[in-house]
Amino acid sequence: MAGLAVAFAPLPVQPIRPQQRTFQIEARQFAYSPSELNVNPGDTITIRLISTDVVHGLYIDGYDISVEADPGQTATLTFTATKPGSFRFRCNITCGAMHPFMIGKLTVGANDWLFRSAGLAVVAVLGIVILVKRS
Amino acid sequence: MAKIELTRNTSIKNALISRYPQLAVFVVMLMGYIFAILAGLVGTPVGSHNFSIVFVWIAWWAILILVAVPFFGRGWCAVCPIPLPGEWLQRGAVLNPPDKKPKWFNLRWPKALRNIWLQNISFLLLALFSSVLLTTPNITGIVLAGMLFAAIGLSTIFERRAFCRYLCPVGGFIGLYSQTAPIELRIKDKQVCATCEGKPCYNGSTNGYGCPWDVFPGGLTKNTYCGLCMECLRTCPHDNIAVNIRPFSADLAKPSTRMDEAFKAFIMLGSAMIYAGVLLGPWGVLKDAAYNVGTSAWFIYAAVFLSIIFLVMPSFFALCVTRFENLNIFKKRFATLSSALIPLGLMFWVAFSLSFVLTNASYILASLSDPLGLGWNLFGTAQTTWQPMLTSILAPGQTLALVGGLIWSARTAQKAANEAKVSAIPVIGYCLIVTSVMLWLLL
Amino acid sequence: MKRSELPSRILITAGMLLAVGTPLFFWTRTPLIHARMAENGGWNPDVIQAEVGNPLHLRLTSDDVMHGFSVGQMKMDAVDVEPGKVTDVTLTFDKPGIYTFFCTRWCGVNHWRMRGTIEVSGPGANPEPAPTIPLYVTLGFDLDAPHESPVIPSNQPSAVRGQQLAANLEISKFSNPDFYRTNSPYQLFEALSSTNLSELEKWDVVSYIWQSNTTPEALTNGRDLYAQNCAACHGENGGGDGVFADDLAKAGEASMQSMTGATDMLMQTPVDFTDSKRILGAAPALLQGKILRGGMGTGMPMWGSIFTEEQIWDLVAYLYSFQFDYQGEAQ
Repeated sequence: MAGLAVAFAPLPVQPIRPQQRTFQIEARQFAYSPSELNVNPGDTITIRLISTDVVHGLYIDGYDISVEADPGQTATLTFTATKPGSFRFRCNITCGAMHPFMIGKLTVGANDWLFRSAGLAVVAVLGIVILVKRS
Repeated sequence: MAKIELTRNTSIKNALISRYPQLAVFVVMLMGYIFAILAGLVGTPVGSHNFSIVFVWIAWWAILILVAVPFFGRGWCAVCPIPLPGEWLQRGAVLNPPDKKPKWFNLRWPKALRNIWLQNISFLLLALFSSVLLTTPNITGIVLAGMLFAAIGLSTIFERRAFCRYLCPVGGFIGLYSQTAPIELRIKDKQVCATCEGKPCYNGSTNGYGCPWDVFPGGLTKNTYCGLCMECLRTCPHDNIAVNIRPFSADLAKPSTRMDEAFKAFIMLGSAMIYAGVLLGPWGVLKDAAYNVGTSAWFIYAAVFLSIIFLVMPSFFALCVTRFENLNIFKKRFATLSSALIPLGLMFWVAFSLSFVLTNASYILASLSDPLGLGWNLFGTAQTTWQPMLTSILAPGQTLALVGGLIWSARTAQKAANEAKVSAIPVIGYCLIVTSVMLWLLL
Repeated sequence: MKRSELPSRILITAGMLLAVGTPLFFWTRTPLIHARMAENGGWNPDVIQAEVGNPLHLRLTSDDVMHGFSVGQMKMDAVDVEPGKVTDVTLTFDKPGIYTFFCTRWCGVNHWRMRGTIEVSGPGANPEPAPTIPLYVTLGFDLDAPHESPVIPSNQPSAVRGQQLAANLEISKFSNPDFYRTNSPYQLFEALSSTNLSELEKWDVVSYIWQSNTTPEALTNGRDLYAQNCAACHGENGGGDGVFADDLAKAGEASMQSMTGATDMLMQTPVDFTDSKRILGAAPALLQGKILRGGMGTGMPMWGSIFTEEQIWDLVAYLYSFQFDYQGEAQ
């Protein structure tokens, strides 16, 4: 019961007016800088991707959008952050050995899923401990 | 839930006893393995388009950790090609035992090394170099070839499958986690073994070879060291061996008291967390340190890696289980309660692997058609573009695995703590904390 | 030996030979041209033979990062050379000679060094016509001598204003390409001293005359060439602050050990095209010369074998747009 509540109960949401935000992200082998972005749901995001060594891309999980940039040619990706939660963005132009692990994180609003999962974990543990105490 | 004996079904039993189906699988696996070595050595240096990287670290790993280990325990060992050439040499035959056995050294494995510490070390060696290994085809090719030659070499010097039992880095953790699997190989009736002459299940007969895993089937109570090779099914003259389906983690009801296995649990738990942070996290400086082997950053990374696994995690666990008393009792309790980390570690690896497998599975289709990156298009799928798959199920899947693993490990801790007459709460608390860290690292 | 033992052994051996032999066989029959970052060896092979009239089929792959392929002084669309994938290109040559092929996607600070040659033999324009002597040589320009303009405008000169002002002036002798190519903007500014315009107005006229020596298409072409080839070092806005400027300056620091260290270091930093002193004192022929010849020890590539003359003039015309406002308020 408690588990279902934690999993599905709506969390209090603070309505924040959506804004326009621009981020300049530098890409190198094999990291983004900055690598963590925090925005609010509904924000219009513009990412300016600057590759500093070789051709890199930026693909956002969950949103399934991407952009690629050659060094010397800043590329722009604009989208609205309609989906809340935490999304990894990653390079989608093979850029060397560690390319599959070139990763950053975009958080839209709060990382609800993480809080719910942690909550579920706590509820599960409490459940087990109490159940055993009863028996 | 009781056990269901699979081998009661004659078709299943005959399929397992006959050497032909097994040989067919062996040939395919060995061909694939050799091809992977070749691809690694002469194919494109770009990992994502080389068969060796895609089919070893994405396809094979996915099947291993998501299907084979959780559902079949040491099922991979049953079909693994690595021991085969050496074993065929050692046995002097590829099917039934020959009339004239070849004269190899057949030495007994040294007593001091009859534990899984070498496997702990070999796994850690791979783990410390994993960033290079997982991304560089020729390194993967060399490591695969190295394991093959090591297995062949050891088979000519020592008896049985010395590489598999004592050296293989994969076998170390497959064995540990096989205790949670719903499948097992056991004898049916202890009395029958007690009166059996010659024990051909261990010593061999004209129908088959003595257990290559150096296990006495008559005394087998856990999955940990049984490689499901089916030799004992062939040699037992009394039809006393069965393959059963049983409840998950039945073996954990009798947790091991061995320190080498306890530390294996920490090695696996800790490395899953470190991999999640370094490989899937947004911290570029960690990836640089992990990849640039030989630099001072890498040495620091290796030192931190090892101290997390050998110092930090075990010491906190020790605090959870100690009563500050006799060292031997403490060691036993440490080992038995650390069995709670076995299902948790398995689920950590499942959750971690789900992420990079779903992200990169599309490479499998491309690699099928152009395994060496030479511009072939064998099945028409060479131009498949990279596209993460099923991303919507990733987060729920990881939560399910991790919270499920936590529940599983808490139950395991309770049972073990009950036996040891201590409270399970500190260990459950430990599990909750590491699970929360893993959730934070992955989600 | 049991009856089935021998066939099984044969099966195993056959399987292994197949697993090893088939791929090896096809691997030896698949000659590829491998592209690697210059630091890792560049093109391999980097010399290709061809014949006039015979189509040359090339199969290209990258061993590390995204590269591209094009041949200099030839009309062709560049193709991408992707890591782990193979790109097919067919080239046909109608004249013999040595052609330069080069990488077209930035792959590190040494990207421009990724070049190779195609030696085309066969009948054609033989003997080779005498190569055109670049203008700066004919004019005797020293490309490495400083060329500072003693006077610079207080604001950015506007070509639109310049056009209005020039309507009342006799500028025909300045509007021809020969004058434009051989004189720096400053020299034209000086030549306008006979007029009674203010300093800024004179610069406006200079900018108009500079603009009239090119076309919008040429400027667009120059802009694209600049973005693809120059911006990575010289900066997307011409400020000498491109993504590789730091690396180049660091390379120059190493030469601080020498007597001429300070000058060397200065030479290593990419030129700032927004530096009015430097650019307004440079004639188009001088800039063309620098682009053709490259930097003599600096990181500046030589483009002589890559760009056509037309491409370089387009690029030179674009470079002045970092100094002059070609759009104008009337836009």
